[in-house]
Amino acid sequence: MSAFHFGKKVLKITVRLVNKKYMFKRFKVYSTVWFIIASNAVQETFVNRWSNVLFFLGKAIRLGMSLIVLLLIKQATKGFGQYSTDEMIVFFLTYQLLDIVGQIFYRGVYMFSNMVRSGEFDLFLSKPINPLFRALTGQPDINDVFFLIPNLIISGYILSKLNITITVGSAVLYAALLLNSFLIVTALHILVLTIGVITTEVDGVIWMYRDLIRLGQFPVSVYAEPLRFALFFIIPIGVMITIPAEVLLNTPVTYSIFLSTLIGVGSLFISLRLWDWGIKQYSSASS
Amino acid sequence: MQKYWQLFLLSWQNGLVYRTSLLMWRLRQFLSTVMALTVWSVLFNSSSSLFGYDRTQMTTYIFLVGILQSLILATGLNGLSNQVYSGSFSFDLLKPINIYVYLFVQDMADKAKNVFFVVIESIILFLLFKPSIFFPSIETAIIFCIWVLGAVLLLFFIQLIFGSFGFYSPETWGPRFLFFMFVDFTAGKLFPLDILPPIIRTFVGFTPFPYFSFWQIQLFLGKLSPMEIGQHTVVLSIWIAIAGYVSFSLWQKGIKDYSAAGQ
Repeated sequence: MSAFHFGKKVLKITVRLVNKKYMFKRFKVYSTVWFIIASNAVQETFVNRWSNVLFFLGKAIRLGMSLIVLLLIKQATKGFGQYSTDEMIVFFLTYQLLDIVGQIFYRGVYMFSNMVRSGEFDLFLSKPINPLFRALTGQPDINDVFFLIPNLIISGYILSKLNITITVGSAVLYAALLLNSFLIVTALHILVLTIGVITTEVDGVIWMYRDLIRLGQFPVSVYAEPLRFALFFIIPIGVMITIPAEVLLNTPVTYSIFLSTLIGVGSLFISLRLWDWGIKQYSSASS
Repeated sequence: MQKYWQLFLLSWQNGLVYRTSLLMWRLRQFLSTVMALTVWSVLFNSSSSLFGYDRTQMTTYIFLVGILQSLILATGLNGLSNQVYSGSFSFDLLKPINIYVYLFVQDMADKAKNVFFVVIESIILFLLFKPSIFFPSIETAIIFCIWVLGAVLLLFFIQLIFGSFGFYSPETWGPRFLFFMFVDFTAGKLFPLDILPPIIRTFVGFTPFPYFSFWQIQLFLGKLSPMEIGQHTVVLSIWIAIAGYVSFSLWQKGIKDYSAAGQ
């Protein structure tokens, strides 16, 4: 894209952004579409209720067992690298929260490769809704909404029992950094979709993302180089999980909050540019 | 026999069609081993022994469980119930082959592919972490191999049971998710089962889950007495017999009721 065209596009977006009436109208359209999708997902959850009960049970067992193991490690050792075992649990809880939130909003990404292979994605392209929005948010995971509630209660209870220092300031900053983390979660899902458009293979990549963020259930700073560097700057799991947890705990942060915010916003910007490029390479698979 | 060998080769090639997915799958296994090795290395920096394991035993556990997961738990039959429910399974039923042998061959091809990669990964991990690995006697190694083959057979029958759900319902992913969630904690890379509280260990002891790698590794590490070895050989054989009987019964009944309109 030439500098002229890029400037023209930026100008067009800026004009739209300042046009409040236009923005409000688009927001209303997209929120209505999302609520219809979410409502369908709720109905689907209740149709497949027994499967969803088993999913819920499986997730509860996973959370319960993980917490038991962390508590056993807490009893057996004094510390985990530079962190106390109590602090280690906060990293796990932050990972758990972000993993669930990512699933709630972006579960549709897991089904994307089938849409590309079957040609169903063509139908998204022909609709007056951004195809990225449909691909990204097209299948919210209602089961995880139900799971989020007990998860938050258990996390709150555990936090209250740990020997850690949380101040009002650190909690507020933690919440702000979680928003930044959500930008990274979004960026990584957009990246997965872009790979799906180009290679028609999303399954492996999205599960790769899940496994990468699993590395974040422990502070990323304990990993050896170059994995540590990659987890902070290439796939910024460390910025997403480790830094907010460090801020909440009032411990020295591995990298500055300014840099974290820059990585959060920057990763979203880059992923959107990649998606724009990827969608231009798309050639329908069938249909 | 020749036709099953050809089917094995075809299944092997099918497994290599989506190469990005395969690469990602192997990379995921590799990273989960790196995570487990890192976490335990950090924990052993402050203690020489944890939960009855020293550093060498824990490293051996993580390496072995990585290999066993690729050999025992990797399976090419995850989509079987969907094939049955959607009716695409009809094409396999029409072929002049024994369906059980065909499914077994598919499963073996998937395992062979995973083992091929896990050997390469293990060499890389060995060079990266340079760990001390515990090696057992020849006799123990032979029993270990028999137990591994037993676990392969046990999981195959359990996969057939999950596949047979497709004869009756499209909702087959829920039970499999729960099953693999249990497997993850009873045969997982991150920690050995015996670090869990006694009540959980006792409960899990009544299930087949520890036979998917935990007991094999305990044998390899020399943690079992001759009596316990005999006892676990019998229990594993019983589990295989039960799973085999249930899976064949369900399949015989399912195939009698099976219909696939529109295929």
